Amino acid sequence: MSDGIRKEPVPQESEAARAQQQEEDIRVREAIKTAELENVREHHRQAKAPLVRMVKRDDISRKKAVVIRLAAVVCALVTGGLLILALGHNPISVYAEMVVGSLGSTTVLQETIRNAIPLLITSMAVSLAFRMRFWNIGAEGQILAGAVAASYVALFLSESLGHVPSLLIMAVVAVVAGGLYGMIPAVFRAKWNTNETLFTLMLNYIALCFVKYLQNGPWRDPALNGFPKIAMFGSEARLPKLFGVNIGWIIALVLVVLVSIYLTRTKQGYEISVVGESSNTARYAGINVTKVMLRTMFISGALAGLVGFIQVSGADFTLSENTTGGVGFTAITVAWMSKLNPPVMLIVAFFIAMLTKGAGRIQTAFKIPASAANVLIGIILFFLLGCEFFINYKLVWRKKQTAGAPPKETAKEAVNNG
Amino acid sequence: MKKLLAVLLAALMLFAVVGCSSEPAANDGGDDQNVEGAQTGEELTKDNIKIGFIYIGDASDGGYSYTHIQGTQKMKETLGLSDDQIVEKFNITEDAACETAINELIEAGCNAIFGTSFGYDAYMLAAAEAHPEIQFFHASGTQCGQSGLENAHNYFGKIYEARYLAGIAAGLKTETNVLGYVTAMPFAECISGFTAFYLGAKSVNPDVTMKVMYTNSWADATKEAQVAQALIDAGCDVLSLHADTTSTVTTAEANGVWACGYNSDMALAAPDAVLVSAVWDWSQYLVMAVNEMLGGEAVPADYTAGLSEGFVDITEVTDVCAEGTAEAIAEAREKIESGWNVFSGPIHGVAADGTEINLAEGEEFVEPLSAPSWTYIVDGIEVIE
Repeated sequence: MSDGIRKEPVPQESEAARAQQQEEDIRVREAIKTAELENVREHHRQAKAPLVRMVKRDDISRKKAVVIRLAAVVCALVTGGLLILALGHNPISVYAEMVVGSLGSTTVLQETIRNAIPLLITSMAVSLAFRMRFWNIGAEGQILAGAVAASYVALFLSESLGHVPSLLIMAVVAVVAGGLYGMIPAVFRAKWNTNETLFTLMLNYIALCFVKYLQNGPWRDPALNGFPKIAMFGSEARLPKLFGVNIGWIIALVLVVLVSIYLTRTKQGYEISVVGESSNTARYAGINVTKVMLRTMFISGALAGLVGFIQVSGADFTLSENTTGGVGFTAITVAWMSKLNPPVMLIVAFFIAMLTKGAGRIQTAFKIPASAANVLIGIILFFLLGCEFFINYKLVWRKKQTAGAPPKETAKEAVNNG
Repeated sequence: MKKLLAVLLAALMLFAVVGCSSEPAANDGGDDQNVEGAQTGEELTKDNIKIGFIYIGDASDGGYSYTHIQGTQKMKETLGLSDDQIVEKFNITEDAACETAINELIEAGCNAIFGTSFGYDAYMLAAAEAHPEIQFFHASGTQCGQSGLENAHNYFGKIYEARYLAGIAAGLKTETNVLGYVTAMPFAECISGFTAFYLGAKSVNPDVTMKVMYTNSWADATKEAQVAQALIDAGCDVLSLHADTTSTVTTAEANGVWACGYNSDMALAAPDAVLVSAVWDWSQYLVMAVNEMLGGEAVPADYTAGLSEGFVDITEVTDVCAEGTAEAIAEAREKIESGWNVFSGPIHGVAADGTEINLAEGEEFVEPLSAPSWTYIVDGIEVIE
């Protein structure tokens, strides 16, 4: 109390002095802060700086991206080569055999293309959803939904319908069934904000179990003495071939063009991109996000459903629990390797089909076990996917001669090194 | 950076050059093989024949595919073929993957292709039509042998004969007079097998009954164990199985009851529980089929054989078996080998679709094809769905 009385007059006396004092204080504090900061920076530069830092690349020259990708291919081939060496084979002849075995003759090329068709269409299907940041990993289920619908027509109606009508009806019902199955998670996401990743994943298993039920129960071929297999389709329900491959390849090529145009040249495609960037922005711009989501998932599922139709009518000629053959998941890899870009998917899907076929070939030619061949594919995909990291990020290494090196130069050198 | 780039490019070019230079060589090799296989003009010999196999699983199942693979090995040794002459594809599903596998075997220059799972049927037949110069052999199927194509064949063994003998061991051993049978599917091959097993048991034990449960899967170790446990809990004290894993016999052993194995000698998995196992020797047919291609004796397009030919058998009677088992089995074996049919009356049974079979004393049911077609559930067997 007495203190307060004594001090009271002081500010009144020297208002200016006090202000000066305060200014001084601030200056000192700032000086200390700067010194500390400098200290910390120095510290970082010397000891605590991490050996390597990741820095997001804003843009990367085309040339550099190509170089990185080529380097990844080389690394993949070398690492895969080590695996092949460890198995006791000559890497070069094994790689050559993979190429010959997937492209080297008309029959193997036809088979490679046949395997690429479902992969290509499915990756376009999932990329539609991915572009609006809707994680549709339910392509397997959507393929099966389409396959079941198409199989119903093939098994019970096609004989009375005739060839062309039954194929057309099969395609339409497959598209609708796949689309509706794809819309279910979108409805739940829109209404109750459910997690679409889990939702689409779980729907895969429901579709798979339903197919197993049909196979073991109502659709079991009675001619097989109880063996749980659905009958083979009649000739009316089989896709015709052109150049030795079912015409699914023409459908796939047409779709590449259509989907590209849809994504880049139409209002709906633009809406998908906007929703993908930010659904709030989209809402602010007056886009009906729910509508875009439902519509896009219908199209995504519909394309997958079409794959189901092509698989059962063009490749397997029956429906089974193995109809998808894992395409719904591999397509996710294809979609991301292609940066969700349909024309690139054409190349990537063909490349993966080539790898798969080549892996099959080296099993028979060199007796390399299937599992080792799959590891080889895994290594190659690992490097190709992994290199995307180096395209999006650069690594900044800790500088050795820290003294006096301005940070700007460090960055420059890092770029050169990277 | 530029240096690194240069090195990488150089490495890539090196790869490309080497790759290109070795490609034609690989191609030539492939073509040579194709000539060997594809041209009918060139005579097949033990040294140039190449044989492909397509399996639904791999050796790790210890069951169906395992016995096929063993048969392949035995055939190879019997005929003195080299490793390079056998090309095997494992874990091939019953869809377009089968077609792909067939094509890959053809590309590898195979002159003969054996497919071992029922569902390969349509793909094998289509390939046989498209490649008349290659021989196709399909185990357990029905279409190839009936097709009339000269290069399409079916084969399967009378495994029910071995099952009948195993049933005798079970019938003599059971104390509760209730047998249990873990089986994959309500499929003729399974049903004819458990029927024979039951008939064998009944031939030595008129009071015996049997409960059957399905797993709806060819190989599901967990489910097979659960079903086996359920049967044991329902009072069964001797189990048998038609599925691809050893779960049934190990579950029986864990519960202190007994079991008859299938496919391979399952006494190895559960020595205290296994009485006998019904086993296959696929090499019996493989040797004949390959020999025919090498200019030997003709083999029927639809081939079947049983105990007498050694296509199927049971393992040696173990110490776990009841007294007198070996004698009873020996007696039945003699009867079967002299031509007696396991499915001889009196038998009454009803199939799932309601058709009935009623064999009087002296009547018998003869399987029309190598693949079993018996789907009747006979009196005394209860199927628990």
